[in-house]
Order: sequence, then C-alpha cells, then structure tokens
Amino acid sequence: MEEALVLPDYLDLSPELRKRFESIAARETILEVSHLRKEFPGMENRPPILGDISFEVKRREFICVIGASGCGKSTMLRMLGGLEPCTAGEVRVSGKSVHGPGADRGMVFQEYTLFPWLTVKKNVMFGPRMAGQGRDSSEAEALQWLEMVGLADRVDAYPNQLSGGMKQRVAIARALANYPDILLMDEPFGALDAQTRSQMQRHLLQIWRNVDVTILFVTHDLDEAIFLADRIVVLGAHPGRILEIIQVPVDRPRSQAQALSPHFLAVKKRLEQLIHPEDPDAVKSLPMIRMARVGTEAEP
Amino acid sequence: MIVKHLSPVTGLPHADPSNSAVTHAASKSMSTTTQKTPRRGNGGWLQVRKPLSRKKSLWLAQGAFLLPLLLWCAISYVPFLWHPMITVQNPGSVDYFQPGMQVDRAEFKEQNQKQIDHGGLPATGTRENPVYLPAPHRVAKALVTAFLTPPIRDGEPWLHESLGHSIRIIFLGFLFSAVLGIPLGLLCGTFALVSKLGEPFVDFVRYMPAPAFGALSVAILGIDDAPKVAIIFVGTFFQMVLVLANTTRSLPIPLLEAAQTLGAGRRQLLMNVVVPGVLPMLYRDMRILLGWAWTYLIVAELIGASSGISFFIYQQAKYRNYDNVYAAIILIGLIGLGTDLILKGLGRVFFPWEKDKG
Ligand SMILES: Nc1ncnc2c1ncn2[C@@H]1O[C@H](COP(=O)(O)OP(=O)(O)OP(=O)(O)O)[C@@H](O)[C@H]1O
Ligand SMILES: [Mg+2]
Repeated sequence: MEEALVLPDYLDLSPELRKRFESIAARETILEVSHLRKEFPGMENRPPILGDISFEVKRREFICVIGASGCGKSTMLRMLGGLEPCTAGEVRVSGKSVHGPGADRGMVFQEYTLFPWLTVKKNVMFGPRMAGQGRDSSEAEALQWLEMVGLADRVDAYPNQLSGGMKQRVAIARALANYPDILLMDEPFGALDAQTRSQMQRHLLQIWRNVDVTILFVTHDLDEAIFLADRIVVLGAHPGRILEIIQVPVDRPRSQAQALSPHFLAVKKRLEQLIHPEDPDAVKSLPMIRMARVGTEAEP
Repeated sequence: MIVKHLSPVTGLPHADPSNSAVTHAASKSMSTTTQKTPRRGNGGWLQVRKPLSRKKSLWLAQGAFLLPLLLWCAISYVPFLWHPMITVQNPGSVDYFQPGMQVDRAEFKEQNQKQIDHGGLPATGTRENPVYLPAPHRVAKALVTAFLTPPIRDGEPWLHESLGHSIRIIFLGFLFSAVLGIPLGLLCGTFALVSKLGEPFVDFVRYMPAPAFGALSVAILGIDDAPKVAIIFVGTFFQMVLVLANTTRSLPIPLLEAAQTLGAGRRQLLMNVVVPGVLPMLYRDMRILLGWAWTYLIVAELIGASSGISFFIYQQAKYRNYDNVYAAIILIGLIGLGTDLILKGLGRVFFPWEKDKG
C-alpha cells in the first residue's frame, strides 16, 4: 500500500503538485480495501475474477479505476458497494467493515436506475426519506441538490422525459442527497455521446469541488480517467489485480486544453502500455518514459 | 402525356420545341424521385413495434367491429351467399312438412322430387338461414326488447336484474381473489421463500378446472350466491398468484440495488420499490384476469340455483329465441369492453409515467 503513494519516478513533478499529493496522502483514509478476492461459484479451477486487491482512498480524493473489458472493474465496485459478497479480504469505509449495501456508499450505474414512477424531485428525496427524514426537509434538500446539478427546472418531470445526461445528473444528485462518504460510479457516462460526456465530466468535477465527497470512478476511457482523477488504479485481468496506481500530474482545475499537455500525454501513453501491452508478459519491463519538466501554473 | 409538354415551373405549354426535351427529362426525373422516395415518418401501416397515428388507430378500431358486422350482414341479407335452409310455406303433399318449418335444402329437394315422381303436389318455401343465426336487425331489436319484456313466469328476474346479479357475482369473486391474490403474488415474486413454499401447490390447483369444484362448493356453501362467488374465486385466484408473481419478478434488479445503496431496508424495498415498480404491470394483468372471471361466470351461474345472464341465455336458447341469446352475448361483450376501456383510461390517470406504453 505504501508503494501506491510513491510518486512514479518517470515524471518530474512541479512543487505545487508534489505538495498537493503529499497533502492528500496525509488526509484520513475513507476507503480501505485489503486483500480483496472474488470467485464466482462454479469457477473454482479457473483464476479468480479478482486476485488480491489492496488500496486506500483518502478523503476527497478522486480515484479512477481503469482496465480492459472483463477484468473485473464492475465486480470490484459492486463489492465495495456491498452488492456482491467478497470471497476473501475486507472493505472498510470510514473504518467500518462493509457487509451489504448502505447509504454511506452512494452508487451511480451505467444503466439508468432512476425510479420511473417517481418524479425527478422524488427520486432525489428517496434516500433522505428512507433515512426517516421528513417530507418537507427532504424536499428542500432535493431541490438544493437538483440546483447543484443544474436541473432545478425539471424537478417535476418523470425520468422517461429526460435525456441520458440529465438522468445521470439526477442519479448523481440522488446519491449525494445521502451525504455518502464515498461515491462509487460505474461508467456513468458510458452511454452518452462524446459531447455530453465531456460536459458531464466537467460538471462532475465542479460538483466534486463544491461537495465534501470522495469519488471512485470506473471507466475504460483513458482520457476520461486522466481528466478526472487524482490517482488512477490500473487493473489487469486473469486474475483481476492492480497493475499500477498512477498519480496524475496534471494541475487542477482541469480544462480540456490540458489533454495536449506533455504530462497528460505521458500518463496516457503509460496507461496504454499497461492496458494494451503488445506482449502481456513485458508489462513489467516497459521502458519508463522520460520527459522534460513542464512549467505548471500554481493551483488556485 | 400532356404534362411532358408543360414547363414544370410555369405549367405553361412550350412554344420552343428545342426546350421540350429538357422539360421531358426534368419531368421524368421529377416523377421518378417522387416514386422512389419511400413514405417515411408515420406513413407506414406495418412498422415493427411502432405506434400508429391516432387517426389510423381509430380507423382500425372501427374496422375491427365493422368487418365482422359486414360479414354478418352479407350472410344474412344476401340470399345466395349462404341460406342453407328452406322455410316451408305450403307443405304440398309432403306428409311431415308443416308451414313455418325449416328443412335442409337437400332434404327439401329430395322430398319434392319424390312428390313429383309420384304425381303429388310439391311443397313451396323460401331460402333462409338457420334459426341459430338471426339477422343483425333482429338481434338489434332483441337488444332493446329484451330489457322491456317482462319475464315469462312470475318471480323470474328481468334482464337488467339478471345482469345486475351477474355483475355482483363477478365483482365479489374477483374482489376476494384480488384481496388475497395481489399480496400473495407480490410476496411470491419478492421472496424466494414464499415462492418455493406457495407456488408449487398453487400451480397444482391451477390445473384443476374451476367448474370441477362446482358440486363441491354447492355442497359446502349452499345453493345461493356463495358457491358462484367461490367458482369465480377458484377460477381466478390461482392464476392470479402465478401471473402476478412472474410480473413482480420482472422488475429490474438494478432498481432494487439502487434503492439498497440509497439505504432502503427490506420492508422499504418491498413497499417503496417493488410495489410501485410493478403496479402498472400488475394493473394490466388484473385487466386481463377480469376477462377470465366472465368465463367462469357462465359455469358459476348454472350451478345451484341458476341465475344471472347465463341463465337468461340458457333459457332463451331453450325457447329457441336465438336473437335474445345473441343480444345477451353481445351485451356481455359490451360490458367487458366498456369496463376495460374505463380501466385503461383510469390506468393513464393512475400511472402518468407510463404514458407511451398503452
Ligand atoms: N455473476 C457472475 N457470475 C459469473 N461470472 C461473472 C459474474 N459477473 C461477472 N462475471 C465475470 O467476471 C468478469 C469481470 O466482469 P466485470 O463485469 O466486473 O468486468 P468489467 O471490468 O466491469 O468489464 P466492462 O469494462 O466490460 O464493464 C467477467 O469475466 C465476467 O464474465
Ligand atoms: Mg463493467
């Protein structure tokens, strides 16, 4: 786990970034995954879906999980959410061991899971209502969250009257209305077109800046991962395992223009090498990419 | 074609013949494009899983009733289409013919041939349809007069009373079914325990025809309405449990998982996700099941003390008043269709989020 926090030596970091990563590392741990293992019944003599997965996520950190299709990203996220039992290992959220789903871990799925029989507002009120909060206060709460995701004018619409991007924004508001410790997102923008997708990414970052929430975001889009994440957890398959945890040396606040910056491209190249290696056995002996130090502007 | 010699733009005849070739080509290309362009949008009648326009739906719905009616009219009023019987007017020398009697056309011919061969007087008659197929206007008339005609014997119910009685039986039987069947179906579809415990037995009883319980229910419940209600109950309840359980199971799991990650406990999952989630589908199922209740009504009303609309039909058939029989059958159809349309309309009010799903 310690090595996960060691800065990759193939990149020089600006002092500002270094300071940022150090401050993140010093924060309290929100999510602690230790020796997580997953086998599905009836697959005993094949390699497990997830081998031995350990990592930590700090408070208000933005983590992306990336990996080839079928390597177990969704399975891992579902285990963190408590929707799938662990074969071995443990998941702790804010120090408490996870056994089953709960309101402390919000989830946003790729498929649309809004309740079709509830209006947008009532969807967002669902969590607070389940927690026993009164109608009026949960309604006020819901309106506030819908304002935040920019849907204040659609509160009385039904989900089937919304576009895909709007549905996911409601889903995010619905999850946040529970004040979860961590937000688990499984390719939430996977079904959206490129334009909406990048709009949603910017929007999510904006929300994350304003809300005290930790985010674990599964994606298979390299650009998306680099654009969003503080750190990227790269998973390999057969068995699912962590290949590397990469700190993203790109300043915040992020902008689309940074997608052409040398740091961004370096991380992307590295991710490509890890996820689509020409020779799968050669991953470990990949030459490190050297690159010139790039001047970075100070963080606001 | 005259058009060829007209300018496509001005519509005026061309004075200059050298231009006409161009015009010809232009008009030709125009006509081919209009031909080749397929009709798009809501133009097609046969599109896979696409709704028809409102106007088209209305036309088709009318056609659905008009076509059978037209066929019926044709058979009834156009003599040579069917009319397989002959109603005797003058029996002639045939011993057993009587005026007003209906005989097979072949039989009529044979008997007349016999009379002609033996020098007797041949019978005369008109071609008609069999008594069991009255013409539409007679049924229409019966539809009105059946309500106005007092019962044949004192103490027997009027038609509207019979009908009211039938509706009450259906309502009670279906109500009991629903009160027990809906919760049980929901529980079977939600909890594997209830499903494993309940469904095999329900499936077993389901295959026993409800009328088979007729004699038994009379023995147990007496001859009044109770056994009739029981037949409706038996006929619909067991099917209902299985149908509703399956419907409940069709609720997408991700919805339940999403609710769990939002903090919903078991009870809340059932009451706040499963129930509202399947309610519109449940409602549709119940509309279909209500139709089945009418099927069992026909049996239910003939056991014990016969009553209701089925008894009316049975009796009228015995008196060979087939126009009344048809009138009553059509009446049942109208009541069924009416209820279903009302329920469908109410469904749109109850479940506004289901708008485009019929
Ligand atoms: N319920 C299950 N039973 C058996 N095997 C399963 C089950 N669910 C998932 N798997 C297997 O686990 C592996 C990982 O699946 P998972 O959905 O986690 O992959 P993923 O990384 O999310 O892929 P993608 O990027 O395509 O979403 C796959 O090989 C899949 O076949
Ligand atoms: Mg997945």
